Amino acid sequence: MSERTRNLLSITAIVLLTVILVVVVASSPTEADRVEHLGTQIKCPVCQGESIANSPAPMARDMMALVSERVAEGASDTEIIDELLSAYSGAVLLDPPASGATLVLWVAPLVALATGASIIVWWRRHPGSDASPEAEPQSRSRSRTLVGGLVLAGAFAVVVIVAGFFLQDREGPAAGVANLEGQDLSEVSNETLEAVVAANLDDPQISGMRLALAERYYEIGDYSSAFPHYLAVAEAAGASNPEVVTALVRLGWMAWDGNGEVETAIGLFDQALIIDSDSTTAMFLKGQVLWCGAGERNAAADLFSDVLADPELSEDSKALVGSSFEAVTRGEPCA
Amino acid sequence: MSGRWLRWAGLGIALGTVVLAVVLASRFGGDPALVDSPLIGQPAPAFDLTTLDGGDEVALEDLRGDIVVINFFASWCLQCRAEHADLVASSDAFGEDDVTFVQIGYQESPSESLRYLEQAGTSQWTKYLADPGSRTAIAYGVFGIPETFFIDPDGVVVGKIIGESDAFTLGATIDAIKRGERPGQAVTGDTQQAPDR
Repeated sequence: MSERTRNLLSITAIVLLTVILVVVVASSPTEADRVEHLGTQIKCPVCQGESIANSPAPMARDMMALVSERVAEGASDTEIIDELLSAYSGAVLLDPPASGATLVLWVAPLVALATGASIIVWWRRHPGSDASPEAEPQSRSRSRTLVGGLVLAGAFAVVVIVAGFFLQDREGPAAGVANLEGQDLSEVSNETLEAVVAANLDDPQISGMRLALAERYYEIGDYSSAFPHYLAVAEAAGASNPEVVTALVRLGWMAWDGNGEVETAIGLFDQALIIDSDSTTAMFLKGQVLWCGAGERNAAADLFSDVLADPELSEDSKALVGSSFEAVTRGEPCA
Repeated sequence: MSGRWLRWAGLGIALGTVVLAVVLASRFGGDPALVDSPLIGQPAPAFDLTTLDGGDEVALEDLRGDIVVINFFASWCLQCRAEHADLVASSDAFGEDDVTFVQIGYQESPSESLRYLEQAGTSQWTKYLADPGSRTAIAYGVFGIPETFFIDPDGVVVGKIIGESDAFTLGATIDAIKRGERPGQAVTGDTQQAPDR
């Protein structure tokens, strides 16, 4: 091979390589092309059937910016799509893959088409089969009616299953998150009740929950936490009489038991007895404070006696009040 | 097979097609937000955001060990306004109890969110954060707001409320998480999209 030929071949090779390189580079998608292409595959989550590339919604613009950033960082298309799928599931793709839930939508038309075609072909090959039913024996006619009914029922069943599947999705998943309806309050924490009370201070219906919360604190001897709730119930315009009486009685007992305030306690018991003169709890606790705090044994004995006269008093209460009555009438110091 | 059989089959298929068409058609115009979040049961997407006033940075990783309640909100969202007092009350009630509320501004400037919070009120325990470019909202698969996510002390997403929350729902869900339950997802109402500007 002469030198001239070699030079010619070299130049030709260089030109060819340059042309190939230019073609390859020119045909390679730019980053902007990739972003645009990805954007047309991703559904704008806040729009109806629009891609993020075509939607003017702020969220779509933010998602396009994210895609653009990921492309610039060198992420593959699959990585970018997977990142969005991990947050939005298949709902973020304009063409969901034919798997799982969407498989039904892909397959159903094909099955329907094949079934319809089969029926038409069979019908054309058996034109004489459309005989008059009157000419058939009655038993065959009955069995065909049965088969027809089963086919109809089957079709309905398929429709109901498919409809149920889609309607379930439409309604959203089952409400596993706590709901006020039918909730067992014994499983609800004090913090939850505090939050509900704080968020509903203007609601006249809140007194019941507030009283329940106060009772929890009272039962564990946390008077300082119980006090503001009892006070609020006692002053609430929307509270029922039994709720107010309970609150006043508890406030009275806490005033005595917690702070040794006899007059305040007696005053609160009296307020409760004005609302409900038959409140045996108010009478008994007032008797206890008169006996233990003011040394008024006779007044206390009278109150205990009134309580014991209540025919609806439980056996446990009867035993408790009875022992106090006996002790105070014997002149013993209060327990 | 007879003509009668074919008539039954044809009738069944036709009826089924009509009913299916009605069912599918009824989905057009439906709320696209009503889908299962794939995040439930998965590690919560990490974030490292600045507070709305730009003063501090808060990373989800820093809150590991707490139950974290993440709420996406905006001043233009009516349901967010309706639930705000309950979020504040819940954050106050659980503030000393290893529960951290995080409210992230969605599709508005930090100054707009701050102006709104000045009027609506805040909890001293809640972290109020800005989300430039909606990166955290996208990572959490937010469709519209309000959306509220519950993350357990191990950093796993265990609950989500789509729509307005109330103090009872928030508190009882936190109670359930404390008992080791995974409450899952619930739809309590509509969500709102950002208005075009």
